[in-house]
Amino acid sequence: MPKVTLENLADYARHVLAQAESSAAHYPLTCKVGLPHLDLTAHVSAGALADAFAHGFVTAPGSRTPADICRIFVAHPGIDGIAVPASWGQGPFTQHGFATQLAEAGLRGNHFHDLDFWQFYDPQRRVGVQLMASADVFPPWEPGAPLRPFLHWEYAARGMRLAHAGTLGTNGKGVLLAGAGGAGKSGTVAAGLLHGLDSVGDDYVLVDLSNGVTARPLFSTLKQDPQGFARLGLKHRLKAHGPLNWQGKHTFHIDDIAPRPVPETLDIVALVVPHIGGGEASSIVPVSRRDAMIALAPSGIAQMPGERESGFRFFSDLTRLLPCYRLSLGTQPQEIAGTIADFLARGDS
Amino acid sequence: MRQSGIYAIASKDIVFESFDGEAVVLDLTTGKYFGFSDSGSRLWDALSSGVPASELVGAATGIGALDAAAIDGFVSQLLEFGLLAAVTDGVARPVSSEFLAQLAAAREPLKVDIHDDLADLIVVDPIHEVEEPLGWPAVKQAN
Repeated sequence: MPKVTLENLADYARHVLAQAESSAAHYPLTCKVGLPHLDLTAHVSAGALADAFAHGFVTAPGSRTPADICRIFVAHPGIDGIAVPASWGQGPFTQHGFATQLAEAGLRGNHFHDLDFWQFYDPQRRVGVQLMASADVFPPWEPGAPLRPFLHWEYAARGMRLAHAGTLGTNGKGVLLAGAGGAGKSGTVAAGLLHGLDSVGDDYVLVDLSNGVTARPLFSTLKQDPQGFARLGLKHRLKAHGPLNWQGKHTFHIDDIAPRPVPETLDIVALVVPHIGGGEASSIVPVSRRDAMIALAPSGIAQMPGERESGFRFFSDLTRLLPCYRLSLGTQPQEIAGTIADFLARGDS
Repeated sequence: MRQSGIYAIASKDIVFESFDGEAVVLDLTTGKYFGFSDSGSRLWDALSSGVPASELVGAATGIGALDAAAIDGFVSQLLEFGLLAAVTDGVARPVSSEFLAQLAAAREPLKVDIHDDLADLIVVDPIHEVEEPLGWPAVKQAN
């Protein structure tokens, strides 16, 4: 089989897309989920990815206005008509070069070299394919946020963005929690949910700047390392928890701990950068937009293949629209949640 | 002074935005971010728009005048990071009074910090734990 290079990448992407579509009748399962402004259909095989698709999203309300339809084929050679994925050939590879080459052909793509794992998307036709060597060969992070790159490409084409951020709110207003891994985003979100606040996600949320800053839910999975899991009391609250994920973290769903149904949207009133404070009490103080931008944007852009410059501009606009704060986290989950609730209440007064 | 010439942004893959007067630069190719101090932001604006480095020597900041060594070091960093490139046929732009006023209000020394965020990405998504110019990404275990 010919190797893929930057020269034939676009041709290979078109071939993979055509092959996946022409085999549409052979996929064992067709799953559908309603997301903000989007009806997502995935053609899949039974297994972990189908399970993730069934349980990994926060479904948008059924009463919403009609949405565009996006179709993703999760393909592998076990499905009639699907060939073994090609491998990358010799020669230089950069994420940016790969994405740029595809963008020039009107396509989007991502590749995980170790597994010959490909994702291609045609944003004009809203058709994508995730091509794998077999049904159970995919990067370990896929089930936590299923089909994340496709949603990133589709929403980016609409001027929206998947942000790598957590959220907390009350009465429809909320904060966006930005920061590097280990800064305390997920623990803060879980603490807030356990003490009466709302959230639309702790890892990736859909952000729209068309009418102020709004955040909407996409993925339902929350994560906590074993220490945080125990500190938050989740070990006792969630009796049936499965094995740790590939990061050594417990995974569960937002409905497991949310005080009420996940809101359809939060109006974001502040960009907050949490960090482990070391003190007993939490505090919130202003931080420069430059520092907030650097906390928010890098992982949000690097983890989403392609669209780097548009992402940089988007997160820059977002940062300018919001007041920015640093949240020093105390040690008690209830106190942390109370600090954020008080902060939001002050904004209302 | 070694770095006395005219410079331009090194490529179209170097993009930047300003936040309340503080610059953040992204290298689209590597995904690395660069955050500037207030005085560094002023010099980035001046140098990237064609003001010769030699014209900036002696300019006043809120914490003292810029000397040639400080400007040399700063420009060398920007060249090393691949953010600026020397141009031989560039048109020198004059130092504006607005620039001088903004620089005089700066309270931080010349500084540019690099943020490549790899430690974060090792934890959350190891595909990105790579030195991209070297070749393919590979899963690496978080420490």
